[in-house]
Amino acid sequence: MNEKNEDRFDITIKSNTKDLFAFMKLVPNRKKRIEKASNEPIKLDPMNQLARKLHPNRQYLIIDDIKEETKSTKTFKLIPDNNSETKELAYFRPGQYLSLKVEVNGVLITRPYSIASSPNDALNGFYELTIRKEEHGFLTHYLWDNWRVGTRVESSGPEGFFYYEPLRDLEQIVGIAGGSGITPFRSIAKAIIEGIIDAKLTLLYGSSEEDDIIYYNEFKELENKYPDKIKVIYILSCEEVNLEGCEQGFITAGIIEKHCDVKNSSFFICGPQIMYNFVENEMKKFNLPFKRVRREAFGEIKDALKIPGFPQDIAEKYYQIKVQIGDLTKEIPALSTESILVALERAKLAPPSKCRSGECGFCRTLLVSGDIFISPISDWRRAADKKFNYFHSCASYPISDLEIKIPRHL
Amino acid sequence: MSNESINKEVSETYDCVVVGAGNGGLIAAAQVAMKGAKVLLLEQHNLPGGFASSFVRGRFEFETSLHELYDYGPLSNKGGIRVLFEDRLNLESEFIRVPEAYRLILTDPGEDINIVLPFGIEEYLDTIEKEVPGSRESVKKFFDLAKEIDDATTYIGKTKGNPEQEVLLKEHSNFLKTAGYSVDDIQDSLNMPDKARKILNAYWVYLGLPTSRVNFTIFASMVYGYILKGAYIPKNRSHEYTTALDKKIREFGGKIEYNTKVERIIVENGKVVGIETSKGKKIKTNYVISNASPTLVYNKLIYPKSEVPEIAYKEINARRHGVSTFVVYMGLNATAEELGLEDYSYFINKSMDTDELYSLLNELKAPDVQATICLNKAIPDCSPPGTCIMSITTAFLPGVWDNVKPEEYVNLKNRIAEDLINKFEKATGIKVKDHIEEIEIATPETLARFTGTFNGVVYGYEPDSWDSFIPRLMAMNDEKHIEGLEFCGGFGRRCHGYSSSLKDGETAGLLTLQSMIKKGVLK
Repeated sequence: MNEKNEDRFDITIKSNTKDLFAFMKLVPNRKKRIEKASNEPIKLDPMNQLARKLHPNRQYLIIDDIKEETKSTKTFKLIPDNNSETKELAYFRPGQYLSLKVEVNGVLITRPYSIASSPNDALNGFYELTIRKEEHGFLTHYLWDNWRVGTRVESSGPEGFFYYEPLRDLEQIVGIAGGSGITPFRSIAKAIIEGIIDAKLTLLYGSSEEDDIIYYNEFKELENKYPDKIKVIYILSCEEVNLEGCEQGFITAGIIEKHCDVKNSSFFICGPQIMYNFVENEMKKFNLPFKRVRREAFGEIKDALKIPGFPQDIAEKYYQIKVQIGDLTKEIPALSTESILVALERAKLAPPSKCRSGECGFCRTLLVSGDIFISPISDWRRAADKKFNYFHSCASYPISDLEIKIPRHL
Repeated sequence: MSNESINKEVSETYDCVVVGAGNGGLIAAAQVAMKGAKVLLLEQHNLPGGFASSFVRGRFEFETSLHELYDYGPLSNKGGIRVLFEDRLNLESEFIRVPEAYRLILTDPGEDINIVLPFGIEEYLDTIEKEVPGSRESVKKFFDLAKEIDDATTYIGKTKGNPEQEVLLKEHSNFLKTAGYSVDDIQDSLNMPDKARKILNAYWVYLGLPTSRVNFTIFASMVYGYILKGAYIPKNRSHEYTTALDKKIREFGGKIEYNTKVERIIVENGKVVGIETSKGKKIKTNYVISNASPTLVYNKLIYPKSEVPEIAYKEINARRHGVSTFVVYMGLNATAEELGLEDYSYFINKSMDTDELYSLLNELKAPDVQATICLNKAIPDCSPPGTCIMSITTAFLPGVWDNVKPEEYVNLKNRIAEDLINKFEKATGIKVKDHIEEIEIATPETLARFTGTFNGVVYGYEPDSWDSFIPRLMAMNDEKHIEGLEFCGGFGRRCHGYSSSLKDGETAGLLTLQSMIKKGVLK
């Protein structure tokens, strides 16, 4: 040791004794400081409180009003359930959604719905969700039969990334909406006129017929009042079109170019899967950079067989899944063409989920054994999750018997 | 609550419950499970890692908080973390060496520093000498002192914390003599030229305390660790090694539950007897290792409150909570080369007056202090061809964000983010704003949300000399108030930071195992 230290210098900061003393005093000084400190517990944690306000795990709501928008759509006004821990509603970014948790015939499922009201409305104590009754919709039929003023509804906090981001997006927003995909744009339009976001909105809104147009009068009023900020073009796919100034057909590249400054706009697309396929194909012609086109996650894929690469030969086959959820282990059946999330819900296991589009990762699940098909158009897994066999159950399908492990819902 | 009642409601019994799956908790759980104890690891989030994680936006997967890991080291000269990961745990994770130490840019008029520093002590000394002729000797002394600290801590570790006074005085006197001082105190006595000090102290931001206050021992160890062995980052973001740890814990027979928060640590007559979870479950255990801070545990988790000794509150109130961070994550639609991003790590400050820089962290606006990373400079294919990932990090002192209202929050964070980007562009001449394809901004609120850390604090307790790792280790036994309860992580014995938290998890695991063996719980 001594040889090694030959050219070692000996430091003196104040004096040899004082320097060693400084070391010797470290712990006594520490004790002195501690002895002098307050013995009061810390009661406030403002950042954790802000986190709970902005991102509550749950919001307990109650239906305050129901408005018929069209023959198949209703707007539900939701307010905090006074008999719950929810005293105020979480603020949000226009374009975000709520994941509702609803029990339908004993089966607990989640569904994401874009918030249609303004963020200011949340401060004033309400959210609005506009929901279209789907012909084969598992949940919407239940809602139509059971949701009344006074019904209690459990929701997540605001979620999702489909919002205007001034550091990324251009001031001119072009919204492309199909059917009930217009709901986030109502929130965005309100936020624009209320000065919450500094942008302009041109909305290309596709519907199948005039009667299906949601918020027609509301948007007309906004357009009249704020002509420099809000503009709506209606595109109807039915044969006969009587509505003044509207386009007939689909949202083609021609229609987009006719009404928008393509190169100087940020596009936001929200609608059914079929519309995405069509519009995205049309928009290829513009050769826009990725950053100029944002799309809302479209929810669960309706027809798994149409997912690119889906193994057609196993259609309608049933497999067994051995599920470990929390302390419970259960064998459940699963249909190849339904997501593993749906199989878990059908088995009444109340698994965690939010976006149902592969994006949020809240349904992250460990594949212990077996083979799955993962929708390549809904694959937002982390690299390490791929490496260690984790998958998002909302965007994955069984193609053999499986063993999986998931945490319980929050 | 009496033992009887807990026995009635209890659904399970574990040898040890680990609270939180952050860096410390994961290692502690692995350590204890590896030796055959029945371990339950509980985590409130749905992922392992705490701050050590990743998230996906569009085509990009972002590293949440790690800039660079120290004490990993090359194969030929493994650091403690590499030994832990590769040799002890055999983890399936891959690390990549960061190309250079850092670029330091000072932006105040009159400052003339814009310099890239390499790894390797000799190369580092050469670079500073070239920039500041005549500084080599004093900077070398700094590294000599750092080496002596390293040797001394190795020696203390070998004696299991019971070093011989005589050996310390004879062989490691410089370690003893510097331990009570700040970085400024030591550098003053080394007669180090001012400009060399500025360059050498660029890493101050990783400890978040001005050089007038930060303890020399911890600062010197950190700088030495980085420059001697280089810095490393996980190839697939930190989520890779934390997920590998999750797998390892399960292989060792440990159990992990996510989405499960520990609401109470139940204590009886000064001893841990169990915990209660957010799922309403009571679990019996005599050992809890908490990755949650003493601040959280003593103020919120110990049940009943009467079991918290007064001195525990005093300890917390005597210590000062460290900074929280603010990060702008950007996926850019151009390559680093196209943009002109030459370096992995940029430290950009107005000056190196760290007292002033620290005071800037106390205002609710973008401070002239940032540590910016271009991940592709270390991992070229970490994002799709034609793109790159960049993140700008700054910090805020506790309390700065306290009065922010939900409806002001987004505009505020966007304004600060934009200022930080502007400051980066101005300092480097590199334009990135038009290339933002994805952007996400994390604030103290975000950190509080995802990890549950008290008030969003990331940097544990501030390492002034009296609360640096040496006094923390020396006072460890005196400050243990509840039998069966150990702490680990960024608020732990070794102060904050990835490497410190990981090693502290190992220590907490070992201490718990020791006690289990002593009590006959484990052979």
